[in-house]
Amino acid sequence: MRDTSAYTDEQDDNEINLTPMLDVVFIMLIFFIVTATFIKEAGIDVERPEALTREQMADAAILVAISPADEIWIDKQVTKPGDVRTELEKLHAENPKGSLVIQADEQSTHETLVVVMEAAKQAGIPNVAISAVED
Amino acid sequence: MRRKHFVMPSDDDENEINLTPMLDVVFIMLIFFIVTASFVKEAGLDVNRPDAPTSEVQSEETNILVQIRENDEIWIDRRLIDPRALRPNIERLHAENPEGSVVIQAAAKSSNKSLVTVMDAARQAGVYDISIAE
Repeated sequence: MRDTSAYTDEQDDNEINLTPMLDVVFIMLIFFIVTATFIKEAGIDVERPEALTREQMADAAILVAISPADEIWIDKQVTKPGDVRTELEKLHAENPKGSLVIQADEQSTHETLVVVMEAAKQAGIPNVAISAVED
Repeated sequence: MRRKHFVMPSDDDENEINLTPMLDVVFIMLIFFIVTASFVKEAGLDVNRPDAPTSEVQSEETNILVQIRENDEIWIDRRLIDPRALRPNIERLHAENPEGSVVIQAAAKSSNKSLVTVMDAARQAGVYDISIAE
């Protein structure tokens, strides 16, 4: 008698109910798919200017860096001022909702910043921001 | 008769679907998305460009004009302004003219540090409508 009950118990244990685990895994999967934003990083680290009123840029998708020597970095490559527009158009097409964040070094000149902003305007990027850090 | 024999066992088999391959695929996708999830935190200041036709028509007097010279001096109303005095100055001009936005005219060789300083001061003074004259 005891034997048989032990046997049925074991039978029950052999089949684990996977449904709750599957639910959790699927929810995690969907979360990570939805939050996955493939940000194109600029490729260099610059000394960002300080600002108290900075805001988190939630939908940043394209990062463009301007080095102290006024080189423009897009997608880990130095880009000539004339090619910035084409590069931005290409990246903008990949993620049309994403905005552009310009990481301008403190020592970089306004001239280069204007080149990038003008290119962004021509490429049709709706939002442009200048990167800043806390004091 | 032949048919019945054939259908019965296959029906029984289908009642228990083997989930293992699907689980494998789902887990691999999960790991891929976890690994590629890059939570880049980028803080910054929005640059407002006068896209709307109405903002283009604004006459110059309604705006607070800030000039940045080549040597990073900041000038408002033909007066040299210390970077620390920027905020009170913009606050005063904003109080005189609450409709006006801040327009920054920066020299080509001026540094972006002074540009961000001016933008930050304007935002601290409560003027979020900042445009950069090109």
